[in-house]
Amino acid sequence: MSHFAIDIVEEDVQLTLVELCRASRAPEGQVHTWVVEGVLVPEGATPAEWRFHGAALRRARLAATLTRELEINTPGVALALDLIEEIESLKAALRRLR
Amino acid sequence: MKFKDYYETLGVARDASPDDIKRAYRKLARKYHPDVSKAADAEVRFKEIGEAGEVLRDPEKRAAYDALGTRRDQERADGRAPGEDFQPPPGWDAGYEFSGRGDGADGGFGSQDHSDFFEALFGRAARAQGARRTSARMPGQDHHAKVLVDLEDAFRGAQRSISLRMPALDEQGHGVLKERTLDVNIPKGIREGQHLRLAGQGGPGLGDGAPAGDLFLEIAFNPHRLYRVDGRDIYLDLPLAPWEAALGASVSAPTPDGEVELTIPPGSAAGRKLRLKGRGIPSNSAASPAGDLYVVLTIALPLADTAAAKQAYQAFATACDFNPRAALQGGTP
Repeated sequence: MSHFAIDIVEEDVQLTLVELCRASRAPEGQVHTWVVEGVLVPEGATPAEWRFHGAALRRARLAATLTRELEINTPGVALALDLIEEIESLKAALRRLR
Repeated sequence: MKFKDYYETLGVARDASPDDIKRAYRKLARKYHPDVSKAADAEVRFKEIGEAGEVLRDPEKRAAYDALGTRRDQERADGRAPGEDFQPPPGWDAGYEFSGRGDGADGGFGSQDHSDFFEALFGRAARAQGARRTSARMPGQDHHAKVLVDLEDAFRGAQRSISLRMPALDEQGHGVLKERTLDVNIPKGIREGQHLRLAGQGGPGLGDGAPAGDLFLEIAFNPHRLYRVDGRDIYLDLPLAPWEAALGASVSAPTPDGEVELTIPPGSAAGRKLRLKGRGIPSNSAASPAGDLYVVLTIALPLADTAAAKQAYQAFATACDFNPRAALQGGTP
């Protein structure tokens, strides 16, 4: 039995800036930059009010690893994320057709 | 323990310039990054490359590593071949200051996944630095892992026992990997790529009363013999006999929820999709309705391997005035 709360992040969870930074291991300043560049789109006007949809976790983690491990700058990360998502949707289409 | 040739890993010469190393490292890191590469061994290769890069791109670490390599070569030349087994000689690192590059407490590049070789050389130094930085009270780290579940688990929900190797601190404050088994409720309606958040199951908090971090599990499905999954929709290929496709039929088909009886409309062509609305991955919230099950018809031909079967095919040909290549006509001059 599980004795702890389990949430499906993409369904049940909204993340604050602090929670997103911790879960994605990205510094706050970096998440700020990603919001400014449109990599992540939270609800709320100020950083303190920002609420990120659960699906942002995956994007933030990808952005953080690409930044850290491949030393890609922000516009590059934005482009890579879009391309990765496009590849995934193409792969899904391929699986449907197979 | 095997001596690791980091120069070989990056494919550079021992006297390569820092720029050459950086270039080689970046090129390989991009090529094998697990989020980008689909090579089967991408994750393993990427870790090796990361480790090699961490050593060779840091001037202090590289110098220490080079000194070790030179010493090893010397021993070989003297006929004291060290063979495959390698142990760092005592005091080998005297005089080097490993300044660390993001391999401290905040879990830098692959820091949880170093090889024994790396750990023996640089592990303790890197960790001693990390430990010093974390004397204040702070919440535990969030941890991440991937788990494979069966598609059926998403239909019914399931309890799964999941083994994880998680970084932890031993009595001496050294980082070690500890095997940990967790019983996890896989909620009904879970989809591939979604994450479960297990509150308080991440790294322990540091300092009095600091809360533990959370554990995030990314869900992936084991490949299924029958079904393909696309988000919340499921695809099944259903083979039909030619007469079932032509005349219509009632056939039973498997679904993750159990067998269903399907009415095949007459004149069904291969590739036709029948949609069973709401029979895909079930709903688990108002925001995500149940998926659909798509049955993709295929047509299987019986072998003409008996006299009766051959005769039947011939009768078939006579009865149907059918040219399957009609659309190709006029294609050749």
